[in-house]
Amino acid sequence: MKIEGPVVRVFPSDTNTDEIIAGKYKYDELDLNKLARHTFESLDTHFYDDCTRLKDPILVAGANFGCGSSREQAPQVLKACGISCVIADSFARIFYRNGFNIGLPLVECESISNNVTRGEMLNVDFGRGVIQSENRNAEYRFKPIPQFMQELLERGGLMQYLDARGGFTD
Amino acid sequence: MKTISEKILSKRSGVDAASGDIVTVPVDLVFAHDGTLPLAIQELGGHSVKFPENVVAFCDHASPSPSEKVSNVQTLMRQFAHRYGLDFYENGDGICHQIVLERYASPYKIIVGGDSHTCTHGALGAFATGMGSTDVASIMAYGKTWLKVPETVHVEVSGKLPKSVHSKDVFLELLSRITADGATYKALEFYGDTVEAMSVESRATLSNMAIEAGAKVGMCAADEKVEAYLAHYGRSSDFTPLCADKDAIYVEEVRIRAETIVPMIAKPHKVDNVVPVTELEGQEVDQVCIGSCTNGRIEDLRAAARILDGHQSKARLVIYPASRGVLLEALKEGVLETLLKAGASIGPPGCGFCIGRTVALGDGEVALSTQNRNFKGRMGNDNSFIYLSSPSTAAASAIGGKITDPRGLER
Repeated sequence: MKIEGPVVRVFPSDTNTDEIIAGKYKYDELDLNKLARHTFESLDTHFYDDCTRLKDPILVAGANFGCGSSREQAPQVLKACGISCVIADSFARIFYRNGFNIGLPLVECESISNNVTRGEMLNVDFGRGVIQSENRNAEYRFKPIPQFMQELLERGGLMQYLDARGGFTD
Repeated sequence: MKTISEKILSKRSGVDAASGDIVTVPVDLVFAHDGTLPLAIQELGGHSVKFPENVVAFCDHASPSPSEKVSNVQTLMRQFAHRYGLDFYENGDGICHQIVLERYASPYKIIVGGDSHTCTHGALGAFATGMGSTDVASIMAYGKTWLKVPETVHVEVSGKLPKSVHSKDVFLELLSRITADGATYKALEFYGDTVEAMSVESRATLSNMAIEAGAKVGMCAADEKVEAYLAHYGRSSDFTPLCADKDAIYVEEVRIRAETIVPMIAKPHKVDNVVPVTELEGQEVDQVCIGSCTNGRIEDLRAAARILDGHQSKARLVIYPASRGVLLEALKEGVLETLLKAGASIGPPGCGFCIGRTVALGDGEVALSTQNRNFKGRMGNDNSFIYLSSPSTAAASAIGGKITDPRGLER
């Protein structure tokens, strides 16, 4: 699997799920496309509009991205914004699991947030574990994602994956 | 040579599991609330619920419903629960985690909640962890889940806690040392004579906040205190003793001396932005909030009442008991009367102020709360400031409307 797109934002370490989508909205709205308009609202009011103007935007962040609440609305609204992939120095556990469960590709790559900037075009090769920056002519390596998690992404998420396999195999 | 997590996951998966292994386990209890169940119902699609007796639903977050939209979402939940005959807890019954402690959690159980603070139930020896709505849906459909067996950080707390210093202060001290991602993907296990001396309720505060350090679970040994707690709720038969093996392998050890712990506060907007209360003394607060799944239990309300007795709160004082049972106990013991006379407004059992959907701060306002998170906008307003503390510090600060060290004020 390969993804190519521009970096739409670089967010700092410990960016939490309340910041991704505020709790005050999530109890009222089940339509994720409507909820997505409030993505990162407290940090950056142009985030949604900028995402919609780009093809396959990539979000970059520091360590512990997605910490806090288990709300799956967080990766869901990023997906609804059109984010093709999130690359972070590291992820919080529940967010990481949620991302793959809904088919949002996540890449853990140490120090990536110090190495790339907004607007940069990136190529992500999941099989090889390599991120290439077209602008800088630079390469960043990451530990390739296990096969079954790549399958989760290819199937579009956990429910689709389990349905295809007929449930859990022990 | 197993940690608590390794013991539970080995027993329940039927595989001799060590940290790093991925196991498939049956899930004894899966629950979700009005913030996470509606999405899980959508994700469930055409599947039916495989084991309805293991699924519980709660209306506790935006509760009682503040708007027509929220009411409609809650109606969807009620219909779903009714269709499958699920245990369903209404607005006002209390916070999911308090009710799960009282009625469902016990040693060796595998519990998955559609809420990050599901780690609370490690206080009763359950392997309990928060997941998202799709995981909740897949468990409702298939009855099982995957878990990676976590590495474990051993937290040893020894000595006697000073008066008016709580398990909340212990955890804030721990957070100041290991930071908000200090235990990501790992288990925390709490040991030492300080933890042994703590009530199950105090331990639940430690386990509850494990996620604030990024941990998957926050485990305590299941000892005679757990046995007595279960007996109190008529669940003696749910008890099985549980602790780690003496030669269990830990990835890290943290030692804390209880005598040296002072009342602590986490400043906006990060949970690990922790300082001693004395550093902030005198700073004005507009609203003091006591409650939440972290510190809304009867002993927390008692601690607040011991300080507020005979005083008037200058700050707006908002108190949400964690469950109907907690509220009833506070009523019987006279704690409620003390709090009301001190000027408190008492909310219906539930999450209340903690998530900013039914109670919100004004622009520029400062809240001191006993909850677990102080993220920007958490209490409904991006332009407000949340400080986190123990119930004693919160109560002491309410009296003068400014941050106050509670030591010496307790009656």
